[in-house]
Amino acid sequence: MENSNQTEWRVIGETVPGASHLRAGTPNQDAILQVRESGRSLPIILSVADGHGSPKCFRSNYGSRFAVKKSAQIVGEFLDERRGKFDLAEIENKGKDYLPKEMVKKWRKTVEYHLKNNPFTEDEFKKLEEKSGANARKLIEENPLLAYGTTSLTVAMEEDFVLYLQLGDGDILNVSAAGKVTKPLPEDARLLANETTSMCLKDAEKDFRFFVQKISNEQSPALVLLSTDGYLNSFSDEAGFFQAGTDILNMLAAENGFDAVNENLKAWLEEATQMGSGDDCTVGIIYRPRALRKYERPEKSEVTTTTETPPSPETSQAVAALTDSQTVSPEDMENVTVTITIKKDKSKISMPSSVELAQKDSHTPLENSSENEGTPSA
Amino acid sequence: MEMKRPGGELASRPLHFIWIADSSGSMGDDGKIQSLNTAIREAIPHMKKVAEDNPNAQVLVRAVKFSNGAQWHISQPTPVADFAWTDLTADGETDMGKALELVTEQLKMPPMSDRALPPVLVLVSDGQPTDDFDGGLKALMEQPWGKKAVRIAISIGQDSDADVLQKFIGNSELKPLAANSPEALVKHIKWASTAVLKSASSPAAGAEVPAGTDTANVPIPTAAPAAGTATQTGTQNTGATRGTPAGSAGDPNDQNTVDDVW
Repeated sequence: MENSNQTEWRVIGETVPGASHLRAGTPNQDAILQVRESGRSLPIILSVADGHGSPKCFRSNYGSRFAVKKSAQIVGEFLDERRGKFDLAEIENKGKDYLPKEMVKKWRKTVEYHLKNNPFTEDEFKKLEEKSGANARKLIEENPLLAYGTTSLTVAMEEDFVLYLQLGDGDILNVSAAGKVTKPLPEDARLLANETTSMCLKDAEKDFRFFVQKISNEQSPALVLLSTDGYLNSFSDEAGFFQAGTDILNMLAAENGFDAVNENLKAWLEEATQMGSGDDCTVGIIYRPRALRKYERPEKSEVTTTTETPPSPETSQAVAALTDSQTVSPEDMENVTVTITIKKDKSKISMPSSVELAQKDSHTPLENSSENEGTPSA
Repeated sequence: MEMKRPGGELASRPLHFIWIADSSGSMGDDGKIQSLNTAIREAIPHMKKVAEDNPNAQVLVRAVKFSNGAQWHISQPTPVADFAWTDLTADGETDMGKALELVTEQLKMPPMSDRALPPVLVLVSDGQPTDDFDGGLKALMEQPWGKKAVRIAISIGQDSDADVLQKFIGNSELKPLAANSPEALVKHIKWASTAVLKSASSPAAGAEVPAGTDTANVPIPTAAPAAGTATQTGTQNTGATRGTPAGSAGDPNDQNTVDDVW
């Protein structure tokens, strides 16, 4: 999912179904989405989401895909509206309330539209009752959003700052050029024993964590890593997980590091879920190659900012496919890592090449309405 | 090109299974303690088989005993494959509260990690607590992992305190399992150590749950077995009726089919 034209910042991402999910015949409920402004290295928006594995959340594979798309779109629009006149204090003040509210509003609207066009089936309820009892059906009928429950983690990388937005479990790590790992967002003590805050819960907008990190030559992450909790939970302790951040940084700093990590990430995640948590595992990485050349980080003036180029015919077609009226069907987004780009003219998102998607993930994107996305899995 | 995997050691998620066993003097009556020893020993091979079915959960077993005070009977969290039962002997009072305090210490973080699966606590008793049970339970429930634990209770004989065991369970829809005979005890112990363990180590137990939508994460089998039944009738999540008390009216596994011994 990397844009090979950009060298200043690079992105790698992968998602694999959990080993225990494969044994149980349940789908990958994680999702990952990269959004990149066409023709420029920055901004980059990377979003991951973890659809809850509870039997009550039997459409969470849809919920997570709606979450990454809506989050990327909303954050992209928010930043585009301010492009050229970024005021970090204003972004912080406005973003901390606006982004969660808008995110919840849009996600719910998408879920409700999906549900309207794809009502719960008796088969879904039957399976739910078999697994979770008759009361579970009542819970879903009272709060249908529960069936789509998901987390949401989004990072937007701009030239002068990084914006972080997270709801629920999962991890965002900063790795410095020297390999030091930190967490930009505060811990949430409520996330314990598999319980998580969620897009499907009342007042979800109040549960988001939000941070705007100023980038300077003195303090800038060389690498940002996003992951769903299946990855962290696969390590025997958090130190082992942090070590993964440092190791990946060092691998990327080596010759052909990008290709090596890009080629191996899927196998690493498969090994992690098999030997570790058994849960779906998703990792997204944003890094700056120049920062990895020990302390040879570029001056701001050296940042590549190419002018926008008109989208290719394929991209134009995909732009249409991913506007609010049309999008990829979640049914065809199973295990999909999608790369899309933000159009320069704000707010619209596009996909660089549907062919590329199909080749990489063996899925063919469809152009269904975003509010009529797919059909419930049987 | 193939590269070494990044990061530290990988490990399946720990699932702590703790027996909390009454070894008071009254357990020496009518062979109750011997029956408990036999029942747990017989359950171990079944536990091992259940654990093998989910390689992403590492089942770690240990045991607390309580009589005059409480002690770790088997203190090390032992992988179920290596677990062997050491016979309990009966003597003294019924200091159940102290047993819960011991368990509480082990459910703090650390030594528990937040990547664990919800622990399973199985309390087995034939009598009334002789110490501060409420204090012990309060301490347990103040720990996040205590609150999240799957708590099962088995009452042995007619003199056990059902109210106390119900408080331990903390869910009015899940009743203590009444064992009034060695056969019933064997069945209940087997149920707790297989059906419950299976649920606690299942993908659903490790699955994310939206906060506040469930009182626990672990689907518990609907009906506890009684004599003559070997399998469960399905599963039902917390919040629904679980663990129908054997011998209650309408229970298809009615334990009254077995002669009461205790």
